[in-house]
Amino acid sequence: MLAPLWILLIMLAVFVACIVLLRMPNGLALILAGVAGSLAGGQGVPVHHLVEGAFAYIDPIMLIASAMVFMASLEDSGALGSISRSLMIGLHRQPVLLIMGMTIFIMFPGMITGQSTATVLTTGAIAAPVLIALGIPRAKVGAMIAMSAVYGMIAPPISLPTMIIGSGVDMPYTGFELPLLIATLPLAFGVNLALAWPHLRRIDLQAVLPELGEDHAARYGFRLFLPLVLVAGLLAAIRLVPQVSVSIGVVLVFVIGALAGAVTGRRFNLASSARRSLRQALPVMGILVGVGAFIQILTLVGVRGMMVVDALALPSFWKFVGVSLLMPLFGAVSCFGSASVLGVPFLLSFLGHNEIVVGAALSMFAGLGDLVPPTALASFMAAQVVGEPRYLRVAKYTALPGIITALWAIGMILLANPIAKLIPR
Amino acid sequence: MARTSFHASRQALTAGATLLVVALVVTFSSRGFLQQHEVEVLHPSPALTRVFKLSEINPRLAGSPGDTDVYLYEGPGEGGTLLIIGGAHASEIAGTMTVALLVETLKVDAGRVFLIPHANASAMTHDEPQEAHPRHLVFQTAGGPRKFRFGARFTNPVHQWPDPITYVQPGSGTMLAGAETRNLNRAFPGVEDGYLTERVAWAITQLIIRENIDLSFDIHESSPEYPVINAIVASETSQDVASFATISLQSEGWEFALEPSPPNFHGLSHREWTDHTKTRPILLETASPVMGRLRGRTDADLAVIGKDVQYMKAARIGAINVPFDENGIRSTRTGSPSSTAWRATWPPSRRSSARSTNWCPTASSRWAAGRRPAS
Repeated sequence: MLAPLWILLIMLAVFVACIVLLRMPNGLALILAGVAGSLAGGQGVPVHHLVEGAFAYIDPIMLIASAMVFMASLEDSGALGSISRSLMIGLHRQPVLLIMGMTIFIMFPGMITGQSTATVLTTGAIAAPVLIALGIPRAKVGAMIAMSAVYGMIAPPISLPTMIIGSGVDMPYTGFELPLLIATLPLAFGVNLALAWPHLRRIDLQAVLPELGEDHAARYGFRLFLPLVLVAGLLAAIRLVPQVSVSIGVVLVFVIGALAGAVTGRRFNLASSARRSLRQALPVMGILVGVGAFIQILTLVGVRGMMVVDALALPSFWKFVGVSLLMPLFGAVSCFGSASVLGVPFLLSFLGHNEIVVGAALSMFAGLGDLVPPTALASFMAAQVVGEPRYLRVAKYTALPGIITALWAIGMILLANPIAKLIPR
Repeated sequence: MARTSFHASRQALTAGATLLVVALVVTFSSRGFLQQHEVEVLHPSPALTRVFKLSEINPRLAGSPGDTDVYLYEGPGEGGTLLIIGGAHASEIAGTMTVALLVETLKVDAGRVFLIPHANASAMTHDEPQEAHPRHLVFQTAGGPRKFRFGARFTNPVHQWPDPITYVQPGSGTMLAGAETRNLNRAFPGVEDGYLTERVAWAITQLIIRENIDLSFDIHESSPEYPVINAIVASETSQDVASFATISLQSEGWEFALEPSPPNFHGLSHREWTDHTKTRPILLETASPVMGRLRGRTDADLAVIGKDVQYMKAARIGAINVPFDENGIRSTRTGSPSSTAWRATWPPSRRSSARSTNWCPTASSRWAAGRRPAS
């Protein structure tokens, strides 16, 4: 049986070899890397652990699948294009306000669902044509959507990474609203304005409108938007009156929305739209299956523990470097996994700083994982939404905002106690 | 044309092979997963009065995976009533093993004792993905090997799904992550017709009320890096007995601390049983490295023996809250909960009290030696 460090190196080598030499899909490469790690760790081929780990992300996988079908339904019914047209017509005279409004608009589903991918695929997809029509390059629009989705996921009222970190130390999810707003809103506005600024110009509405496609709202009226209203209403009901809506999951909400889309606008074949969207989402879903098995083996053979303990053993300055690198890197595997596995021990290691503010800051590091390749879930999905064939182009534009976000989070940890004084009691 | 046909055949071949591999993996692995639904046989001590199902309290649990056995022991003398539950979090094996130990060895001279070894029976039927926990723990005894399940913290999602986005704790309105909907120790006092986990919580709370239980223990474990560890958590109503038990344990070299039950920790047994019943609740929390995020290699030995290289490193840098050396944590995890419960229940100063329960896990050495008491 090898030391955990050697096992980790073997797993990484097998993963890279499978991708580069054998051109395997990422998900399969991760599973084979897991098998290699297990063999190196003297655990044989533990089918039980591989299967169990592969099911770890069954909920996000179903969420992505249903959200993709819903978006395809909205797109094919003509609702998306019509919303883009309306936004452009309403706000074309104030491009800065348009960007800020778009930022909040994109963040909104993340704020109420705590999920970045659902955000990219819903409001991100609606905002994309408008931002592209403003003259912003597709890759930058993708970056704006991905960053907004990550900030939306961290922002209140629902911040799942923060809840996960808090539940690890039995800290109730109360008092987080202000720290989470400080963590996200200024960055979201700043980053998106900075990305869009070089391209903002006076908008010639007549020139732009044809790029946004046909106006289906004129033909179908308000019923065209009923699927969106239905989904927003059901999500709000789940959030606001959970006692009444206990049995409705987000997956079912998106399925209901997709079915509604098939009868409220332009006629289309829902089955073929669903097939098309699932084919697009399959690589990401495959990665999540592989990631689950990979982490389970990391835990089984002791590599996970080694990574966490070595990170905690870092001296004070290097601990900040460690948290800035390790949490996003682990977050690339799983944002929520990073919050649980690294967020909780790091929260305990920063005792002395206000726990609520530190918890909010650590959830930002975990959220950044959705921007880190090779998974880069938010960037990957955003690239799909803006029609950018190479998601690394989107990821490139998220790099600097990501670094700024990490520095912002470090600042929050250092200033945790003064910030905590602002929290209303 | 021929090229297209070749491509289609190759695709069909790949799809067929993939499906075959998936079918083989599913067939091979499903047997192991289903084994976790097989409930281990306990051999109650001769003192057992009766066993009944929790659904006797809440009929809405009848036939559900949340229904579980409640063991009642009645002594010949009059006395108080005691409840001990384990397995509220089924991965915290000190709870399930302590109560199993008591089920098989208990002797009651006065009063009544209720025991629930698998408080969250559904959570015993699965593992948490990515934790790589063992499915079973096997103990070699003179009577042959005995196998006990290692469950999960939460209710099996197969039995309660989907999770809401957030869990709003009934009564208090406290907001938690959605998965906490399946956490029995966030669901108290429970809801009669709520989620499966809430129904179980409601039944246990009602059991306490119906049977006028004087003192209630909820046995847990946590990771060595958790702040409240090797601790007795007591509310304002149970501080006196808990203080006595803590001092008694400390005087004999057990490193235990007394922690107050925070008034805003809603959903937890010690808080809600205080607020909704007349019992004196106590939650016990021992340290278990197999629960922790800092652990190294994860297997059954780590769960039972508790030696771990990574936790030794963590102890050296001060990242954990319990002493940890090459021998693991210096405590006996099933010994300390049963010992604590005994001390809290039967302090010498209260032996004459009519409401104290006179019981003792006298046969623990016999159980460990593998001589099974008659069923």
